[in-house]
Amino acid sequence: MAETYETRGLRRVFLELWGFIKNSVGNFFSLEFLSLFIPLLLLWEFLPRWNILPESLVPSLSTVAEKFWDMLLHRDLVFHIAYSMSRFFTAFIIAVVLAVPIGLLMGWNLKIRAYLLPLWQLLSPIPPPAWVPITIIFFGIGFRMHTFLMFIGIFYPVLFNTYQGIKDTDPRYLASARVFGASEFTLLRKIYFWHAFGSIIMSLKTGVAMGLVMLLIGESYGGRAGIGYLLGQAKDYFVIPEMVVCMAILGFIGWFLIEVLKYVEIKLAVWKVGR
Amino acid sequence: MIEARSITKFFSVVNEKGLAEGLTAVLNVSLTIPDGKIFSLLGPSGCGKSTFLEILAGLQAPTDGEIRIDGSRVLEPLPSTRKEMEAYKRRYRFISPVANGVFRDHPKHDIAMIFQDYAVFPWMTAIQNVNFALKLHKIPRAQRNERARFFLNRVGLAGVEHKYPSQLSGGMRQRLALARALSVEPKIILMDEPFAAVDALTRERLQDDLLKIWGETGVIIVMVTHDAPEAVYLSDEVVIFSPGPGTIRNRISIDIPRPRRRSDPEIIEIQDRIFAMLQYDLDQESEYSI
Ligand SMILES: Nc1ncnc2c1ncn2[C@@H]1O[C@H](COP(=O)(O)OP(=O)(O)O)[C@@H](O)[C@H]1O
Ligand SMILES: [Mg+2]
Repeated sequence: MAETYETRGLRRVFLELWGFIKNSVGNFFSLEFLSLFIPLLLLWEFLPRWNILPESLVPSLSTVAEKFWDMLLHRDLVFHIAYSMSRFFTAFIIAVVLAVPIGLLMGWNLKIRAYLLPLWQLLSPIPPPAWVPITIIFFGIGFRMHTFLMFIGIFYPVLFNTYQGIKDTDPRYLASARVFGASEFTLLRKIYFWHAFGSIIMSLKTGVAMGLVMLLIGESYGGRAGIGYLLGQAKDYFVIPEMVVCMAILGFIGWFLIEVLKYVEIKLAVWKVGR
Repeated sequence: MIEARSITKFFSVVNEKGLAEGLTAVLNVSLTIPDGKIFSLLGPSGCGKSTFLEILAGLQAPTDGEIRIDGSRVLEPLPSTRKEMEAYKRRYRFISPVANGVFRDHPKHDIAMIFQDYAVFPWMTAIQNVNFALKLHKIPRAQRNERARFFLNRVGLAGVEHKYPSQLSGGMRQRLALARALSVEPKIILMDEPFAAVDALTRERLQDDLLKIWGETGVIIVMVTHDAPEAVYLSDEVVIFSPGPGTIRNRISIDIPRPRRRSDPEIIEIQDRIFAMLQYDLDQESEYSI
């Protein structure tokens, strides 16, 4: 700890990257997991290949891998991923930038809570996919519609979890800071926020999952690009290996983003480590 | 000097039938605490000690009465007329009356407060905890670290500056809370059952260290406790609260010169008197409830 604290510059970047890889991919290399995972992969490869399962319905691992390579070279897979992700991140950032401060304010102040909370309580039960028709009418099909739908999916979980974390801040922490003269703004930055930090990160993880769901729903309504579009194409032409490639990519994206959030939590919530 | 003039505090609570009802946590408590003294507030739990202490600190507004510290009011009194009430409500619509301000850090009085378990912030290291208090008291950044180290050393926490509270023992956490309180050089330290969560041996050491530091600084210490021997050993005066509603039942001055011995017959005698009093209250209470 003390060592990484002192290092700066490029060396620091490499150390952090290495730490991230160790923390995320590291889980895959435990003996326990490998002893489950390798046989599963082998079954996936050989059950279809030996015709125990019909190869036409269940493509083997190597077929899927070949397909992935093929799509990478001939179907602009990277472009489609970048296309979806740029919209995803736009929505994610807007949702977080709005939801966290609103959640902070609502948790902090009774009056603001009285104004705002009922509004969200009315709006949030509307299932996000129910927003699709009206969004299409308002924004047409395209960037704004996709982004808005993902925004709707991410906003509420982040808002409510932030609010709850702030509201549950132990009054005794606040009292001790107040006696020392802390202003409300200082309380928000130094006490409330850190107390709610765990629930905020948690809510971001939920937000990632909800955002991906809304990504698929949005892209299934027309559009000319994106992972959801590719998946729809695969469905229309009944190309099972392509479906599996799309699913695997979505799974990977979700996993990766959640690992990033976990790493951020480990790095910023050092005080929780080793408890 | 702290003056509490007929402090009363009502809460409205919801009873088991789901109806709102009034609860008198503190009733008509008056108390004057002169400079440089240690006072203990002693009584069974639920008798309003913590509430009274928080009113002293300006963390809760009393329903009636006022607190003055060296003559100046801790909180402005609650409004009494309808017109005043409306102005008060407008003024405090978005910010509570006990808040210090929205953006400006500014301690209202020279007070520090120590709570039992929630004394220090778990997301700050020991030195960050102390620096936090120093910053609020407008100590320039350049001096903070040095000053924080000085006070950490003083309570015997040299060498753990960069540890988080979760890595410290219960006793060390209380020491850290004490260091943080001392670092702002307050005139008054309020403590709510500060040593209740640590083991008996640690508690005695903490008590002795507290007395030593008190001897060097001469702050007012007001301490809530439910431990009669602790109250008698430490205090110049023990204020005994009785429950339902919380009032002062008795005040016992202890004029035994310091350093005191815990086994001093005089101290034991006072302890026994207090125990008898508390026991009597309990018996009375159970008779009422039968
Ligand atoms: N914020 C509050 N709302 C309602 N009732 C409260 C509140 N704070 C304290 N009380 C009640 O006031 C009484 C005194 O509480 P407290 O001051 O914490 O007692 P003590 O510290 O002596 O154990 C208790 O009955 C408690 O339930
Ligand atoms: Mg209490």
